[in-house]
Amino acid sequence: MAVALRFGSNFLKNNINYVQNICRITDSYTAQIQASRNFGTEVTVKAAPLAVKKQKVSQAMKAYLERARENDEFMKTQKLEYQIGKRHLANMMGEDPETFTQEDIDNAIEYLFPSGLFDKRARPLMKSPEEVFPARKAAEFDETGRPFHSMFYTGRPNFFKLLYDIVEEMNNLNDLEERMLRRGTRADPNQKVDFTGFQWLTKDQLEAILVEQINDLEYTNFTNAMDRLVSLPFSYKSRDFINKFAKPLLDQTKQLEIPKPQFDAEGRQFVTTYECLRKTARGDVTVRLPGTGKITINGQDITYFEELQSREQVLFPLIFAEMLGKVDIEANVEGGGPSGQAGAIRWGIAMSLRSFVDQEMVESMRLAGLLQRDYRRRERKKYGQEGARRKYTWKKR
Amino acid sequence: MLQNSLKSGTRIFTYRNVCAIPKRLQQTQVATNTPATEPENIAVIEERILKHPDYFQVHNLFTVRDLFNARVHYGHKEGSLDDRMRPYIYGSRLGHLIFDLDITAAHLRDALNIAAHIAFRDGIILFFNRNALNAHLVEKKAIEAGEFSHTRFWRGGIFTNANVQFGAVTRLPDLCIFLNTQNNILTQHVAVRDSAKMAIPTIGIVDTNCNPNLITYPVPGNDDSPAAIELYCNLFKAAILRGKEKRKELLGETENTNSSKS
Repeated sequence: MAVALRFGSNFLKNNINYVQNICRITDSYTAQIQASRNFGTEVTVKAAPLAVKKQKVSQAMKAYLERARENDEFMKTQKLEYQIGKRHLANMMGEDPETFTQEDIDNAIEYLFPSGLFDKRARPLMKSPEEVFPARKAAEFDETGRPFHSMFYTGRPNFFKLLYDIVEEMNNLNDLEERMLRRGTRADPNQKVDFTGFQWLTKDQLEAILVEQINDLEYTNFTNAMDRLVSLPFSYKSRDFINKFAKPLLDQTKQLEIPKPQFDAEGRQFVTTYECLRKTARGDVTVRLPGTGKITINGQDITYFEELQSREQVLFPLIFAEMLGKVDIEANVEGGGPSGQAGAIRWGIAMSLRSFVDQEMVESMRLAGLLQRDYRRRERKKYGQEGARRKYTWKKR
Repeated sequence: MLQNSLKSGTRIFTYRNVCAIPKRLQQTQVATNTPATEPENIAVIEERILKHPDYFQVHNLFTVRDLFNARVHYGHKEGSLDDRMRPYIYGSRLGHLIFDLDITAAHLRDALNIAAHIAFRDGIILFFNRNALNAHLVEKKAIEAGEFSHTRFWRGGIFTNANVQFGAVTRLPDLCIFLNTQNNILTQHVAVRDSAKMAIPTIGIVDTNCNPNLITYPVPGNDDSPAAIELYCNLFKAAILRGKEKRKELLGETENTNSSKS
């Protein structure tokens, strides 16, 4: 059975934009060569040239055509095998081979070849050969071997062309500024490009656009050049160019959605935060407004915690937000010890209080770290040591 | 093969020997080739025009005064002189060396002539420049001339290990034009050595601190000033375009057919 099972197939990031269907490209090249072969006779009728050239196909082009042809044949056989494998699989699963989709194939493979491997890419899969085999770059030169791109020999033509374009934009803006100054006009400060809240494309994103691998230094060169372009007084004239490489940063506090308070039977506003976690403690916290400052923890008041530190922990967000005595707190916690439970309640109160204070206070609560979940867990004891870090007492002599 | 025939052709008929005092517009008429009844093979024409001393009339592209105005005569300080550059120096003024522009002009005309011939033969011409100040200009002129540029860090083996570097059989340039031959003040551009290894002819602007030995067509002159670099770029661009136009003209290619091809 010719099921094309690939284990951990490597999808090459680059070159995917190129050659979606390589045969089309190859065809067009052969057609071009054919066209230029007929070219000489065609022109003698029209313009009577003084010379004719013998059409020569360069070694580079010959090698490329050969590779393209081999690739075509390979892909054709792979596609055929994939189709056959698909039909076999459909028959095995007792389904109609005609309507067997890729999703069905994935399910069937997961059922027939159960794998406990952690990485999903390491598990068996059966995909169409276009997805499995990396796409190959189309020829970057014509039939005489002459490259298309002026910076081909640098090895990273698209990237260096981008740097060239940035400098070209800067030169244009400088020229414009000079002309405007001669005319007595200055750049409009209101239209200045405001780059706060934006950042340049990351290295990976830039590489995906360029279809080329660049190193860190080159990426720094790119961001420096773009920063310099933005800093020019007339940079708003090339806003389109800048926007191609800028992406907005999301505001941290705006991202978190603050819940709307609900109303209970007595007509009081309340917000409940579930899943308040700290160490191994978990609980839920309800904050009611207006209130008298009554705190209920597992049916008891704040004396539920015997240690002062834990009590302070619970009260801290209320003191910070100046809501002590204005709201009632109900909390249910289980698991963990006193400090874990106190921490869980603290986080729950702080998260619930967001609904009852203004945006400014929410931002300062965030900066104070009240809205940050504490992910620290107990560190395990190590053998040969007394605890997680502490070593046994040992004296050489 | 191509390079050898070109070299021999120009060595016999260097412009220096033919006319010692270059005059602008001395001879504007291009050597007319007899209109054949049936089209010739371009290869035959290529061989024939090599015998002409200045087929593309590159001598009228510039005058010595143009060179002077573009500050080509400025060399470096006396202390940095490379002994091999001694024959091209006119003298020294206030500790700075001055090039003899008559010698420079003769060498530059040879260089332009070879560039035009290679462009006529559909050769690939690659411009080099490692000076960041002039890099953009060089890249721009290379694009305008429809040729290639490399103004970046030279990864070793681009010429000598091309098939691995580019992942496929790759056609290398037929002529390298170095607008400065140094990487920095101390070391020579590695591509100069690599071109020599791969038998690719080179044209190089060599300043007083450079070594002209590995350059096929050295042109003594200032390789730092933007004005001088712009002049060189414009001259090479003009010569290349002359060669290309002549080829198109002979082949009877019009703009339409050419654009559809590319």
